[in-house]
Amino acid sequence: MNRAYYWLVFALSIPAFLWLVPTLWMVSLSFQPNEVLARTTSTTLFGLIPIPFTAENYAALFSFGQTPWWFLNSVIVSLGMTLGVLAVSTTAGYALARLDFPGKTAITIVCLIGLMVPEQAVFIPLYTMFADLGWHNSYHALILPRMAVPIGVFLMMQFFRAIPKDIEEAARLDGVGWLKIFWHVMLPLARPAMMTLAILTFLYAWNDYLWPLVSAQQREYFTITLGLASIQSNFAQSEGLGRVMASGVIASLPVVILFLIFQRYVVQAMTVGGSKG
Amino acid sequence: MKHVLLTAALAATTLATAAPAQEVTLGRFFGACEDAGTDTTASTGEACIIQSIINAADAELDGITITTLPTDWGNYYDQIKAAYAGGTPPDVHVMHRHRIPEFAGLGALGEISGDLESVGIDPGDWSETALAAVSYNGGVYGVPMDFHANLWHVNMDILAEAGLVQDGKPILPSSPQELMAHAQQVKDATGKDYLAADFAQFPIGVRLVLALMWQQNANIFTDDGTATIDTEAARNAVTAITQLFDAGLADPQLNYADSQQAFLNGETAILVNGTWVVDFYTAEAAKEEVGLDTYYAADFPTLFDTGATWADSHMWAIPSTLEGEDRMAALKVLAFINDHNIDWARTGHMAVRTSVVESDAYKALPHRAEYAGTAAIAKDTPPSARYGAIQDVLNRELQAIWLTGKSVDDALSDAEIEVQDLLDR
Amino acid sequence: MAVTSRSRLSQTQAAWILLAPFLLTYGLFLVYPFFQGLWISLHDWNLLAVAFNPDAKEYVGLRNYERVMWGRNIEWSLLAAPFWQGLGLAGLALAAGLHWAGRMSRFNAVALAVASVLLIVIPGFHPGEEGRWYDRRFWPTVGNTLVFVGLAVPGVTITALALAAALNRETRAMGALRTLFFLSQVLSVTVVTLIWQIMFSPRQGLIANVTDVLGGSPINWLTDPQFAMAAIVIATIWWSLGIAMILFLAGLQDISKDIYEAAALDNARGIKAFWYVTLPNLKRTVTLVVVLQIILHFQVFGQSHLMTQGGPNDTTQVLVRYIYQTGFRDSELGRASAMAVFLFLIMGAFSVIQFIVGREKS
Repeated sequence: MNRAYYWLVFALSIPAFLWLVPTLWMVSLSFQPNEVLARTTSTTLFGLIPIPFTAENYAALFSFGQTPWWFLNSVIVSLGMTLGVLAVSTTAGYALARLDFPGKTAITIVCLIGLMVPEQAVFIPLYTMFADLGWHNSYHALILPRMAVPIGVFLMMQFFRAIPKDIEEAARLDGVGWLKIFWHVMLPLARPAMMTLAILTFLYAWNDYLWPLVSAQQREYFTITLGLASIQSNFAQSEGLGRVMASGVIASLPVVILFLIFQRYVVQAMTVGGSKG
Repeated sequence: MKHVLLTAALAATTLATAAPAQEVTLGRFFGACEDAGTDTTASTGEACIIQSIINAADAELDGITITTLPTDWGNYYDQIKAAYAGGTPPDVHVMHRHRIPEFAGLGALGEISGDLESVGIDPGDWSETALAAVSYNGGVYGVPMDFHANLWHVNMDILAEAGLVQDGKPILPSSPQELMAHAQQVKDATGKDYLAADFAQFPIGVRLVLALMWQQNANIFTDDGTATIDTEAARNAVTAITQLFDAGLADPQLNYADSQQAFLNGETAILVNGTWVVDFYTAEAAKEEVGLDTYYAADFPTLFDTGATWADSHMWAIPSTLEGEDRMAALKVLAFINDHNIDWARTGHMAVRTSVVESDAYKALPHRAEYAGTAAIAKDTPPSARYGAIQDVLNRELQAIWLTGKSVDDALSDAEIEVQDLLDR
Repeated sequence: MAVTSRSRLSQTQAAWILLAPFLLTYGLFLVYPFFQGLWISLHDWNLLAVAFNPDAKEYVGLRNYERVMWGRNIEWSLLAAPFWQGLGLAGLALAAGLHWAGRMSRFNAVALAVASVLLIVIPGFHPGEEGRWYDRRFWPTVGNTLVFVGLAVPGVTITALALAAALNRETRAMGALRTLFFLSQVLSVTVVTLIWQIMFSPRQGLIANVTDVLGGSPINWLTDPQFAMAAIVIATIWWSLGIAMILFLAGLQDISKDIYEAAALDNARGIKAFWYVTLPNLKRTVTLVVVLQIILHFQVFGQSHLMTQGGPNDTTQVLVRYIYQTGFRDSELGRASAMAVFLFLIMGAFSVIQFIVGREKS
């Protein structure tokens, strides 16, 4: 490593720090007492260091806040959606990639067209449809619509296409059925692709805002994204800034941790999802 | 696993044997207050007072449990509407008087005039205007909870420094010219702004202009649905305010939180805001570290001919689809809220029950006497199912005037066309 | 299941069984709603009224489209918006010239020409004498959305490209820095807007606190019409830089080292190498990132809805928020659906472009 390299690292760490400042600030504010924040947010080093310090905001959140509940909903919805998308995408992706049947091209094209339909273009009819069915305010209402999005099918299709034919053929010669090949041979092979798809879906589900906003009106089914939006629009009047920030930290912690653990997969997911989706 | 089974079995038997507690879902705005407790007499601020009343109802009403739904202000009506359309409206919800034409007009709200007495609500105790507020086409569609109106919240120390206090009362302007003169006086004496309000986000600025139009006996549209915005009265009302901005005596760019903060920090003499903050400002003024020390809540002054200030009503309604036990339980909750009218009045809102208004406890509420004249000058636009959208048009066009320098004539004529469109739809 | 005795499913049967779950959800939750949306857009359909009385809708043909996008006495002229139309004419001339001189592929020339023609045609419409748009907010809202896209996309792309180029080394420090820049990407829109709402506050905000110390007067970022859009763009760039950066890094790794070595022999290093070697080789990735970002940012909703409520004076009102507002605040599902169809057409056009670009790559 030469000197220029160290200069580069040094020069880059300044913008990197600035990039981190908003997040740091949120964390720092969440550890300061609300009475102080009501007057000034820049007590110590522009408020970037939580002095005076208090953990009161977090204690309050967990003793009677709704945040833990919303958090749990987000986990249920995100996991449900992830599992659902994995299930429908791997099966359909495999069928479209490896099996021959009449109508295959037509279905592939129909799915391809679906990629063009943004969520925002169908949320109104989806809303009226779920209203007619009496499905709003339920976990399945939050989970089902996203399962229809064909991006996952295309990711899996592309992956399965890349697997050499002979693996499958060997199994066929042994008289193994298609479904068994899918389950016992293909799925284990597809684990990395599934991981990628799972992370993309989980992040999407965790952060989705518009659909939960129109579908969930009852607190029982608020996700953390929605819950946070509801408290930030009136923090000026009632709740302390520190507590709102604490909710923000709690809402972000799982995705940040997930990201740090699975960073490699996330990066891969973004690369694949980005270039194909 | 064993534990789960046990719980399930237990739950099953409870459901089978004992009559289950009626669950009442309740929708409201006012903000969240999660540690409100059940003492209705000690809480402060809209959010905590209403939540303490709800918590008390939950604790005291036999066989009724209340679940409070999310308390998001910004999306409240969108969400209530979505809930109604989805067939899952809350059993009890708060709303504004001005929304009755829209919701009751479609048959969404339950008509309750026949049920009031049976749960112990005496509509005869409501003031006439309160009854009118919840009435629509001859039916009663809710239980009124308050009147709220715009006040002038005054920092007396600043006005005193500018020589605008007499006998412990603020001297407020009686004409647009005097408004300007007072503002200049304050700027010269203290260097501070005269007036602040949310001119940039929520429609507080709209309500200010509306009040000034009503003071000239004008309105933004007539009862038969003709928009009358591009008028001399509107121009007078708008310029009464813009003259302050033009002279640098007020800042149009403050939103709700910032204008309130400016007032509490002692940076502005007057804050135009509703009755809902009187108890909050009283509490803040008592604090050592807050810039505001001597607080006064004044009636909206008359700058033109007739006294008028924007006013509305909060009320509680139940959906028309509610029946039987559910409906009875919901009505009991309404009655409980009605019984606690005095507690709600602590926010600063004006009570709707004559027995409360005449009580000593009510009269003794802080600053209450200072804005006793407000009830008489309370006003609002004619009823319309498009109230929200109309307010939004005015808010945009007025913001265009004071934030982007759009000419008053253009803005008013555009607003008139758009409001007419809405009325014609 | 016994291993061999039962007759096997044919390939076709197996395929349909495997496809069934997806086709079912796809048909129910995407295809059907899509056509239902078209159907709603042809009706005067009040959200609440129809909920209480399913017959309360009225078929109105294309009137919703007319009411949203058209007006009274709308005229077209070449001088209505001289700047944009001039730009369009210049683009048209450029496309013809370059193609004729053989310096542009036919596909690119056609694409440029189509874009130019749109630029000439669309801004040319304006209300004539005594005329007016039926909905004065729709086109400005589309304009705001375009401004947002026009600021956010280059902002994200250029910053991400610069960072990717600087961070393209496999060392521990660079990895850590990449993580840092990427981190904000995983936050949800509500957290992002929560942070930036406070950051931008003229009284409590960090930016105001710093300006204050430096002796400046704080900007009312979110309520000043000149800065509100900039504010949500800044928050957006901070939020969504990560994906673009990762895509660029992937693209950079595809460029072989030999090219750089060859360039170094020609004395092209550092900035020069970036300009003459990196950029041309990254062309496809850049196009891809740009198209992706356009699709993503065209759907902006949360930033505008939560940070500025579309204000001040509608300067940050964007298309999806207008759809939401028309549908749920004003209960006009018919109009809202007409706007949603419009959104679909725009997004669909960009999706087609993306598809073509993606195919060129493979």
